[in-house]
Amino acid sequence: MKLSRKTAALAAVLAGVLAAGSACGADDDGGSGRITLVVDTFGSFGYEELFTQYEKDNPGVKIEHRNEKEHEKVYVPKLLQYLEAGSGAGDVVALEEGILTSLRGQADRFVDLADHGGAALESDFIKWKWDLGKSVDGSSLMALGTDVGSLALCYRTDLFAKAGLPTDRAEVGRLWPTWADYVATGERFQAKVSGTRFVDGPAALFNAILSQEAPKHGNYTYFDTSENYVADKNPAVKTAFDLVNSLKAKNLSSGLKSFTPEWQTGFKKDSFATMACPAWMLGVIKENSGDAYADKWDVAAVPGGGGNWGGSYLAVPKQSKHPEEAAELAKFLTGPQSQIAAFKAVNALPTSPQALADPQVAQAVNGYFNDAPVGEIFAAGASSLQPVRLGVKNVEVRTVFEDVLIAIGQGKLTPAEGWTKAVEDGRDKAE
Amino acid sequence: MNDSLPRATLLTRVMLAAALVLSAFPIYWMFVIATRGNDVVGQVPPPLLPGGDLGDNLERLWATKDANFLLGLTNSAIVASTVTVSVVLLSSLAGFAFAKLRFRGRNPLLVLVLLTMAVPLQQMGIIPLYIMMVKLGWAGELKAVILPFLVNAFGVFFMRQYVEQAIPDELIEAARVDGCSTLRIYWSIVFPALRPAIAVLGLLTFMQTWNEFIWPMVVLTPSNPTVQLSLSALNGAHFQDYTLVFTGTALSTVPLIVIFVLFGRQIVGGIMEGAVK
Amino acid sequence: MKQNRPLARAVTWFDLKAAPYVLISPYFLLFAVFGLFPLGFTVWVSLHDWELAGDRAWLGFTNYTELLVDADFWNAVVNTLGMFVLATIPQLLLALVLANALNKRMRFRLLYRLGVLVPMVTSIVAVAVVFGQLFARDHGAFNWLLGTDGLDWQADKLTSWTAISVMVDWRWTGYNALIYLAAMQAIPRDLYEAAAIDGASPRRQFWRITVPMLRPAIIFTALTSTIGGLSLFTEPVMFAQGDVGGGSLGQFQTVAMYMYESAFRDRDYGYASAVAWMLFLLILLVSLVSFLFTRRIGGTK
Repeated sequence: MKLSRKTAALAAVLAGVLAAGSACGADDDGGSGRITLVVDTFGSFGYEELFTQYEKDNPGVKIEHRNEKEHEKVYVPKLLQYLEAGSGAGDVVALEEGILTSLRGQADRFVDLADHGGAALESDFIKWKWDLGKSVDGSSLMALGTDVGSLALCYRTDLFAKAGLPTDRAEVGRLWPTWADYVATGERFQAKVSGTRFVDGPAALFNAILSQEAPKHGNYTYFDTSENYVADKNPAVKTAFDLVNSLKAKNLSSGLKSFTPEWQTGFKKDSFATMACPAWMLGVIKENSGDAYADKWDVAAVPGGGGNWGGSYLAVPKQSKHPEEAAELAKFLTGPQSQIAAFKAVNALPTSPQALADPQVAQAVNGYFNDAPVGEIFAAGASSLQPVRLGVKNVEVRTVFEDVLIAIGQGKLTPAEGWTKAVEDGRDKAE
Repeated sequence: MNDSLPRATLLTRVMLAAALVLSAFPIYWMFVIATRGNDVVGQVPPPLLPGGDLGDNLERLWATKDANFLLGLTNSAIVASTVTVSVVLLSSLAGFAFAKLRFRGRNPLLVLVLLTMAVPLQQMGIIPLYIMMVKLGWAGELKAVILPFLVNAFGVFFMRQYVEQAIPDELIEAARVDGCSTLRIYWSIVFPALRPAIAVLGLLTFMQTWNEFIWPMVVLTPSNPTVQLSLSALNGAHFQDYTLVFTGTALSTVPLIVIFVLFGRQIVGGIMEGAVK
Repeated sequence: MKQNRPLARAVTWFDLKAAPYVLISPYFLLFAVFGLFPLGFTVWVSLHDWELAGDRAWLGFTNYTELLVDADFWNAVVNTLGMFVLATIPQLLLALVLANALNKRMRFRLLYRLGVLVPMVTSIVAVAVVFGQLFARDHGAFNWLLGTDGLDWQADKLTSWTAISVMVDWRWTGYNALIYLAAMQAIPRDLYEAAAIDGASPRRQFWRITVPMLRPAIIFTALTSTIGGLSLFTEPVMFAQGDVGGGSLGQFQTVAMYMYESAFRDRDYGYASAVAWMLFLLILLVSLVSFLFTRRIGGTK
């Protein structure tokens, strides 16, 4: 008797555990008929309210949002792993321009959105944004554009005042028509203020300057138009590299790596006074700084006169179990009204001509940034922006350059050693 | 025998006290930050006393959908319990056979078990296992993190050692004379006698499985995570919210601390028991 | 109770001869599927240019020959060995001292034993989150305590190794101490009494009696630490916020991280499998060295 009770007890435990195990893993809510769409994004897309609205308008859809703040080293590898494995990716995935470029040859992994009424949306997008969303051979509409990273420069008014620098955004913009002027301003700032560095770190600045320099040198960066690796020959790369290192050499940089915890803590600890600001960065600054820093940041013109940092897209992987519904959601999220909503939420600059012209965008002011006329600053020039041509392996090479710049900042490499290493390691990745 | 030990000197006591503080402080501090607001981030010196924000932090934790924290906790409970039951059961079966039954090839097979203990399967097997799970379509599902852990060499070896010394051969002989089958001997004699060893092996297995990280990270997705993946998502998904991350970290440790408080004596005993051999 | 009928005899025979195999078979079957097969499969994959989608090309030993001249791989080997030495030697020495302290007559013995073991309940992820914060460059508690304001622990090989070793040691020292303690309690007391009569000081007794008698336990802990230390992964990955690259120049990238990077970031499964085998060889080699080294502990043969 004793024996059988024990056996029964153990069997019950096992059965319970197995039953619990088998109840799990299903991604749909059983019989309710409601499907779950997973949306993968990185950084900050400003979609939270749009998701709530979409769920309300489409009772059959439940949205699961998965955000990852770090792009190159965490978000991208996981996404590529899922794509290759044939499972695990979201139903809708955000693709940054660089990674989209490398995936445009793999149209077979993504739903052709033209099959889901996407083709009719052409007039909703700036032409180049629309064109880049197609596969290399142009046969498939792989992705729909979200935003474009029109460039500006963000600065802390309170710290500028402390350094005896002007705080008005127009006057600040006049301080630095060129990047050399920007460095000179940095020296003036640093002479008066200690404890805070002039700029946050090397990576964002490097990418910003590179995207400005590229159009002057064939409009490409690490790879020329025939996909040859030219990082060592393209003056745009070297110019950006040297400028960033000159900031470090003059001790003007905090040397922080974007999106690391210390960078994020830096916002609340006055670790830096300026940073390169693609439009979407405003949302990042606001989220990291919190209410205590409202009105302490402002937005001025970027040295060197404008620039296009790039932007993102949404796509639907073929592995999605609900391609039809996912495509609908992607269309909704990239539509002009949604782009306006995302702009309001995190300053993601629209790529829809209608949205850009809309007074809610064109005349927008951002309350958090001292009522900066962000519509005027970012939207005005957006239609005329041209994309920089990127190579298939641009993300890999970019990561190498960013790592080397960090290492130079840490004092582990001299700029000259760093240049050699970046060029050679980049070449390894390119092959 | 204990009385023959030399008395602890003052120096020894001070040293041990210091060791206790060093051991406990990071855990204590984790809970402290979990009860504080984000204003303490980067505060120097760091805060050492709890605050009143635990409820608020927990609320934010539940509201953080990308981390799927509740699902992570549930999944980990399922995975760790299943693995624990299996390891304990299968290890005790094999351990019993190796310790008390005679069969051809017993010693070579036991050596084989010992050898497999030395292979870092975690690292060696990760790529082929991943390829396998993808081919089977199991990637992302809980069985992918359960099946590879259902047995382990340490468990078999540990049980063999225990059965060997805890159960006299005569008892088994007597049962045989009474006509008991091997399985019946296991159920009515061996299994009950193994209770202390089962407790220890079970607890260690549970803790280890609960804390497993690499393999779940490779094969699961954030949509269906274990608690460690939820933690890592919490750390990565959001803008700097230290107290939120610490709250999650503290919460994920609570079940193990409860186990430790309840069964700490047995765990200590088990580790020391296993070591003597 | 006599059993004369053939059927019953057959059942008994089966029970005696076959039952043992039935009892051990779940272990061996599961191990074969999830342990042995992957091991062999790793070899097969390592000889190919392998893609998850199914494409593969035979490469022979190309992956291995490339690996042998791969500077990043050797960097990872150096880091792994460096962190192993930096973490293990202090850890085992500390555990020895701690065990000796615990092996005294005192009150609250269980409390002390539980206390040194408590770090084991925390997950490595939790450890890394907490220590990552303590080791922060700006406003970190360690920099504040040590007065090394602005020291970037991740920047340098030695500092990053130290930070990671501290995490490893915090978690495992107590566990090893308990193993030593158990072995110490098995040492016959009369050995000490005899030594005391000969006038040997407690310190001398510790090095001349305790340590040599602990040799099996020391060998055991050295081997487990070797396997664990050389496959180090989670601590450095979490230290770098989930990046398997191990710092700006890979200053704390371990071999296991390099394997992971090759497989799941570069998606070169063949190359990663070759790294896995090299890691295995490395572990065997270092285990052998550890064994030979610890076997000599205590001087006498």
